[in-house]
Amino acid sequence: MQIQYKKKRNLLQNLLLIEMAQGMWLTLRRLFTKPITLQYPHEMPKVQRGFRGQHALVRDPETSTTKCIGCMKCAMVCPSRCIRIRIHKEPGHGNRRFIDEYHIDALRCVYCGYCAEVCPVNAIILTEVFAYSAKTRQELNFDMPQLLGNWDSYLAGQGELLKEYANPTWRPRGLPEGPMPVGKRLPVSDEWKGKDQVVGRLWRQSVQEQNR
Amino acid sequence: MQVLLLLFYIVILFTVVMLHVAYATYFERKIIGHMQVRMGPMEVGWHGLLQPIADGIKSFFKEDIIPENADALGFRLAPVVSLTAMVGALAVLPFAPGWVLADIDIGLLFIFAMSGLASYGVILAGWASNSKYSFLGGLRSMAQVISYEIAMGLSLVGVMLLSGSLNLSTIVEAQGGSFGGMYIFPQIIAFGVFFVAMLAETNRVPFDLPEAETELVSGYSTEYSGMRYAIFFMAEYVGMMVMSALGAICFFGGWSGPFAVPLFPALWLVLKIYAFMFVFIWIRATMPRYRYDQLMELGWKWLIPLALANIVITAVCKALF
Amino acid sequence: MFIPIYFWYSAFVIVLCGILAISLRNPVHSVLAVLVLFFHLAGLYLLLQAEFLAAVQIIVYAGAILVLYLFVLFLVNLKEELKISAFVPGVWLGRGIAAGLFVMLMWVLPSFTAGMKGSWPSIAVSQAGHTKALGAELFTQYLVPFEIAGLILLVALIGGLVLAARVAQPGPSRHITDNVEQTETLRQTEKPS
Repeated sequence: MQIQYKKKRNLLQNLLLIEMAQGMWLTLRRLFTKPITLQYPHEMPKVQRGFRGQHALVRDPETSTTKCIGCMKCAMVCPSRCIRIRIHKEPGHGNRRFIDEYHIDALRCVYCGYCAEVCPVNAIILTEVFAYSAKTRQELNFDMPQLLGNWDSYLAGQGELLKEYANPTWRPRGLPEGPMPVGKRLPVSDEWKGKDQVVGRLWRQSVQEQNR
Repeated sequence: MQVLLLLFYIVILFTVVMLHVAYATYFERKIIGHMQVRMGPMEVGWHGLLQPIADGIKSFFKEDIIPENADALGFRLAPVVSLTAMVGALAVLPFAPGWVLADIDIGLLFIFAMSGLASYGVILAGWASNSKYSFLGGLRSMAQVISYEIAMGLSLVGVMLLSGSLNLSTIVEAQGGSFGGMYIFPQIIAFGVFFVAMLAETNRVPFDLPEAETELVSGYSTEYSGMRYAIFFMAEYVGMMVMSALGAICFFGGWSGPFAVPLFPALWLVLKIYAFMFVFIWIRATMPRYRYDQLMELGWKWLIPLALANIVITAVCKALF
Repeated sequence: MFIPIYFWYSAFVIVLCGILAISLRNPVHSVLAVLVLFFHLAGLYLLLQAEFLAAVQIIVYAGAILVLYLFVLFLVNLKEELKISAFVPGVWLGRGIAAGLFVMLMWVLPSFTAGMKGSWPSIAVSQAGHTKALGAELFTQYLVPFEIAGLILLVALIGGLVLAARVAQPGPSRHITDNVEQTETLRQTEKPS
C-alpha cells in the first residue's frame, strides 16, 4: 500500500493557500456543531455492561464468602502484577486451598480484565463503578473484605440478584465454547459470543482465514 | 482641571479595556472549545460567564513566587514593562471622531515604538527568570519581534502614502467612510503582510514560538505565577486588541460603518476589533506552529520583499494618477 | 513651570543612566540603563516639539539597536569578567583627562549662539507636520547627502555580509572527509574479523 502524505497541488492552489482555507473552513463548521462532551458532575456517562471499573470479589450466596478457589491463575496472568494471594492447605480437606489473603493494588492495576477472563469460577470481576478515590495508597490496596464489600455495594446499586447477573468480561472472547469450564459458559447476549462478538482485528482475520 | 479630565478619561479607557481583556479570554476559550466540539468554561455562572472574574481573583490571591536565582529587579520589571507599553499604545487609538486620548501626528509611529518596547518585557522576563526555557523563549521572541516589526512597518507605509499622514484619525478620515474607500482594496498585499506580521508581533499561533507549550513549557513566562503571570496575559490580550484596532483603522475604515450609531459612535470600531479577535482565535484553533527557520524565512524572504514591492507599486500609482 | 522641571528631571536621569551604564557590573543591567536613557532622550525631543524624532529614537534605538545588543550579550553569555589592561596607565591620569575635557566643554559652552534662521521656523514646522517637513527637506535640499549616507550604510551591510560569510576552505575540509573515509574503511575491514 502506498501512503501519500501530501496531496499534489498546483501553483494556483499554492498561492491561494488552499489547504489553509480548507482547515479554516473545517474549524468554522465545527463551531456550529453540537458539543459531544459530557458536563461530567452534572451528566453521568452511560456505563455499558462489560465496562472494566473497580475490582470486586463475587460473594457466593451459599457460603457468603468468596468463590475463589486459590488457583492463582489471575495472579499469574496479571500483566501489572497487582494481585497477591496467600493460601494454605488443611489436613483432611485434600487439595482444597483456603485463602488467607487476597490483595489487589488498584493503583498498579491497568484494568485489562484478564483476571476476570481467566478465573474458572467467575470469582473476580471488574465492576462498572469508575469514580472512586481515597486519601492514602493503603486504602486503594484492596484486601478481601474490601473486595467483597465492593461487590455487595455494586450489586445493591445494580438492583440485581447474583443468579441473574452475568458479566461479559467473565467470558474469554474469541474462543470456542466447548473446552471452556462450566463457569465460563454464560448466558450472555449475542454480541458477546459466536461470530458476532466484539473482538479484535486478529480474531476476525483468523475467522476469515478459517472460513476460506 | 483639564489634567483631571484627562486622568478621568484614562481611567475609563483603562477600565473598559481591562474588562474587554477579561472577557476576551472567555470569548477565546468558548470559541476554541466549540471549534474542538466541546463546551469551554461552564461552571462559574451561567455558561461560565463569571469565569474571567474567578480567574482574576484566583491569580490575584495566589502566592507570588520569585525564583531564588532570578534577577529580582528584572523579574519584577518585566510584566510591568509589557503591560505598560501595550496600554500606552491605546492612547493614540481613535475610537470615534474625537474619542482619542492623544491625537498626535505620529500615532502610527507611536504604536510601533510601544510594540517594540513591549518586546523588552518578554526579553527581560526570559533573561531574568534564570531558566533555560524562559531564556530560549526570550531569545526567540527577540528575533521574531525584530524581523516582523520591519515587515509590519513597511506594510503600513502604503497606507501612509495613500492617506498622506501618520495620524490615525486622519487615516480614517482619508478613507472617506464609504465601503469602497477602505484601504483593504488598494492595499490588499499590504494587508496580507500586515496580518501575518500582526500575528507574529503578538506571539499568537502559528507564531507562538516564544511560549511554545510543547517544547518550552510556557516560554518566557515559565517561572511566573499569580498576578505577574496574569499581567503577562493581560499584556498579550491588550496587544491583540491594539493590533486589531490598528488593522481596523488602517485597512477597514476605523469607526465608519453603514450608518451612524447615536450615543456610542465607537460601536463599529469595536465590532471590527472583535472580528479581528475572532480571526486570531479561529487561527489558533486551526493552525499548527511554524518551525523556527520557517518563521525567519517567511519574515525575511517573503513578507519584507512583498511589503517593499507594495510600497513601490503604491508610490508609482500615486505619482501617476 | 512644568517645562524646566521636566528638563532638569530628564537631564538628571540621562546623566545618571549614563554613569550607571558604564559602572554596573551586569551587562544586561547596563543595557537597561541605556534603555531608560534613550527614553528620557526621546522625552527631551518631545520637549523641543520634535515628535517624529522622538518616535524614531525609540523605534530605532530602543526597539532595534538595543535589542540587537541584548541579543549579542545573551548569545555570548559572559560568565566571567574580561580583564583588559588599561589603555591609559594610571587611574588618576584618565580622571584628569576626563576632568580637563569637562572643564573645556563648560568653557566653550557660553560661546554657543542660536543658529541661523532656516526656511522652516517652528511655526511652519508645526503647521506642515514634522514628518512632512523632514521628508521635504531630506528629499529635496539634502538629497545627495542622504543618498551618500544610504550608500555608506549599504557598504557597511555588504561588508558585514562578506565578513560573516563562511569561505569554503578546501584544505581542512578535505582532511576531515579523508579521515571519515579512512575510519569508514577501517570499520569495514574490522567487521569481518
